[in-house]
Amino acid sequence: MSSETVTNNNKLKAKDFITVGIFTAIIFVVEFACGMLGYIHPFIVASYVIMIPLVGAIPMMLFYTKVQKFGMITIMSVLIAIIMFVTGMGFLGAPLIILAGVVADLIAKSGKYKSFKKTMFSYGVFCLWICANYFPVVITAEDYRKNLADGGYSAEYCNNLFLAINYKTIGILLVLCFVFGLIGAVIGKAVVKKHFEKAGIV
Amino acid sequence: MKLDPRTKLYMILIVSAVVMMSATTPFLWAVRIIMTLIPIILLVIEKKYTSAFGFTFLYTAALVMTFCFLSESSSSFFKTFVTGYSGIVVQFMPCLITAWYVVRTTKIDEFMSAMQKMHVPDGIAISLAVVMRFFPTIKEEYSAISDAMKMRGIALGGGNAGKMIEYRMIPLLFSCVNIGDELSAAAITRGLGGKVKRTSVEELKLRVSDWLLITAFTAAAVVFVLFKYFL
Amino acid sequence: MSENVIELEHVSFKYKGSEEGLLNDTSLTVTNGEALLLTGASGSGKTTILRLINGLIPHYYQGDVEGKVTVAGREIAKTELYELAGVVGTVFQNPRSQFFSIDTDGEIVFGPENIGLDPKEIQKRKEDVVEEMHIGKLLGRSLFELSGGEKQSIACASVSALLPEIILLDEPSSNLDQGAIAKLAEQIRMWKEEGKTIVISEHRLWYLKNLVDRVIYMDHGHIAHEWCGEEFADFTPDQIEYLKLRPLNVPDILSPGCGGDCDCNGSCKVDLSTPDPAGGITLKKFYFSYHRNPYLFWKKSFSEDDSNLSLCIPRLVLPKGAVIGVIGKNGTGKSTFLKCVCGLEKDCRGIIECDGIEYRGRKRLAFSYMVMQDVNHQLFTDSVESEVLLSMKEDDKERCDKILDSLGILEFKDKHPMALSGGQKQRVAIASAMAADAKLMLFDEPTSGLDYSHMEKVGQLLKNLASSGNTVLVATHDPELIELCCDYVLCIENGKLGYMKRV
Repeated sequence: MSSETVTNNNKLKAKDFITVGIFTAIIFVVEFACGMLGYIHPFIVASYVIMIPLVGAIPMMLFYTKVQKFGMITIMSVLIAIIMFVTGMGFLGAPLIILAGVVADLIAKSGKYKSFKKTMFSYGVFCLWICANYFPVVITAEDYRKNLADGGYSAEYCNNLFLAINYKTIGILLVLCFVFGLIGAVIGKAVVKKHFEKAGIV
Repeated sequence: MKLDPRTKLYMILIVSAVVMMSATTPFLWAVRIIMTLIPIILLVIEKKYTSAFGFTFLYTAALVMTFCFLSESSSSFFKTFVTGYSGIVVQFMPCLITAWYVVRTTKIDEFMSAMQKMHVPDGIAISLAVVMRFFPTIKEEYSAISDAMKMRGIALGGGNAGKMIEYRMIPLLFSCVNIGDELSAAAITRGLGGKVKRTSVEELKLRVSDWLLITAFTAAAVVFVLFKYFL
Repeated sequence: MSENVIELEHVSFKYKGSEEGLLNDTSLTVTNGEALLLTGASGSGKTTILRLINGLIPHYYQGDVEGKVTVAGREIAKTELYELAGVVGTVFQNPRSQFFSIDTDGEIVFGPENIGLDPKEIQKRKEDVVEEMHIGKLLGRSLFELSGGEKQSIACASVSALLPEIILLDEPSSNLDQGAIAKLAEQIRMWKEEGKTIVISEHRLWYLKNLVDRVIYMDHGHIAHEWCGEEFADFTPDQIEYLKLRPLNVPDILSPGCGGDCDCNGSCKVDLSTPDPAGGITLKKFYFSYHRNPYLFWKKSFSEDDSNLSLCIPRLVLPKGAVIGVIGKNGTGKSTFLKCVCGLEKDCRGIIECDGIEYRGRKRLAFSYMVMQDVNHQLFTDSVESEVLLSMKEDDKERCDKILDSLGILEFKDKHPMALSGGQKQRVAIASAMAADAKLMLFDEPTSGLDYSHMEKVGQLLKNLASSGNTVLVATHDPELIELCCDYVLCIENGKLGYMKRV
């Protein structure tokens, strides 16, 4: 008699929260793996804006296929902010991360979480959170620089770091994040199609 | 010794705030080092000797190297390299140790009830709990996948970066999605996400030790700011 | 007391987007306190029935449901899942994925906390459950370091703590060894004595035969046969074979000695060098430990005298072209043995000698190939064909087709490996092993959770591999599989060689 299942509301359920948790863990692992490379050379720190959007796009595009309700992307951004804080990356970036999450969620919602174009833009905006990694550098630039020098970074490392990341370049970095987010979305979508759609799990 | 998760979060907050400000005088360095020692001592109390020892060793080595070799004009490549890295270690170690201590000693159960006490929405608490539950799972799955890659000699993806990422990511995602599905089913049949307010057997109470730590960290932060900016 | 606690009235179900119905017009009633066993081939609808009872269908897995399901007076379609938490408890198949916490204590109290019980009451329930199940020694540990059997005990405890009147078990023994299964059987018996209604879906039958009151045999979404417990326990091997079920009686492979084929009182240890070293594969100096003393900068290689070795095999000759079953309790080093043999544990410096050639270090990786228990971990590409080609040094499509054909999976050539069924995925992994020219093939629990006809196929496959000149090592908990295909049995006890004998 009852084939109309209880999918009546748009409220998030336990299953959705678990999905968000899983993908957040994966995204964070990706970020962490890329972050490790940053220890090699400061320019790699700057190239987070290319690497993370591209690599992270694969899990994120899979995640987008599972998002159907408002709030999941927002919660993910809140989680990322919390994890960044707990792992000692500071709390200065939290507003940016959460703002990016909410806007990304709204964009995706306007396409009912189905339109790929909207998803692409949504992911591009979401990627802006990566710049939160640089906030300590930009906001507390002078102090931070001194701090780094005092803290033992060589002058060369500092110079390189500030060459790549400063007030002027942060704008460029944000744009790069967005652009590579878009490119990443296209690649990620292709991978999802190649594997997950073909295997029939989405 | 059992600490309230809220105390632990407060510790992280203070430590990450303090490392943001540079230590410029020996006194400030001393404050910072003392703050770093507290989580190490806590690790020892929790009988996590290996990690406590490892952290102490690394932190001390980094400190010694920073103070002995460091000057802004360090010229030789090796010196730059070494001081650069010990600098990073000195910078991030306090946060890392505190974070490590918190993650290793907090049960999901405790954490969820702390979240509830701090009026964090249930959804976020559940998701965060899953994140914590999932890190070890990802590690397990990844090590199985990397074994499989070794066996087939494709760990380097034939030198192709795209393939390298694909071979790692695809099986990992398939596994995680599967596990997630089963995990949700198992959790939901045990009543997760109901309308009832969740209870917890982990009683959260700020004990004497909690207050002591909170006071100590607050004092350290205040002293640090005072001496850095006002005195 | 024989009121019906579970009623399915003319229920049909198919998953969203699927053509095929998984359950067709099935009616079933279970009375209070009954222990019911559902059996039948994979995909016959056993799991679907369980999911209908615990409400995962339609609330979690979406699809078209017809008919009415009533459990303990509640109509499932109109009941929210969390309201069922205290009524129906489910133990799932995979111990790895069904826990939510990271520590054992938190897991046991997880359910009661969710339904908002008073903390004092929860604490009491926890103590009761722990006492009842004798799992005190598991408390305070991380769930990630437990063995499969221990995880399953915690899963049972977690369900128990909710005090449900109905308990469902979905192939609970799939990943367990015989000892752990015996414990599980004990647990089920206890629940039965407490008057709980129990529904079990299972392929392994030996541990349940004197435990269940009624047996239902499912076939293609229908209830095909129904017997009472005593009737079922008296089934002859012929009947069981006709129904394609797993046997009701199995030899206890874990008790050392011999399965009664000679009269040596368990002292029958076949000389380890029986197979002729010239015609065999010799393993030398396989030592390994997970608990090494931490040295910072250099690693000592292991030797026989080290204490705390997880694996200690000075010398072992494996007969070539044979299927060798590797047995032993969970956690005694079977998996470690396999991993070391195929060279995945770098710190194990064992040497493999075959046809006068020595394989050391990384070369062992090329000599052998392991098909893992979770075969999903070793499928990387987007089609079966490319999966096989990936293993070849030079792409040879003709040979690839030949291999796939010999395994009966040529028709899936262009499909995504992950879209295949479990057994087919396993074949894909075997195909890539064959393409890689591995001489020594290792299988880790290839038949966990398979029904009899699939297990038969795996057995046949292993035999074929052996007869075409490969040597096959298969770690297993299934006595049935050993009977089906193994030439030798190799027993590992605490990382040491227990015995090796001909079957």
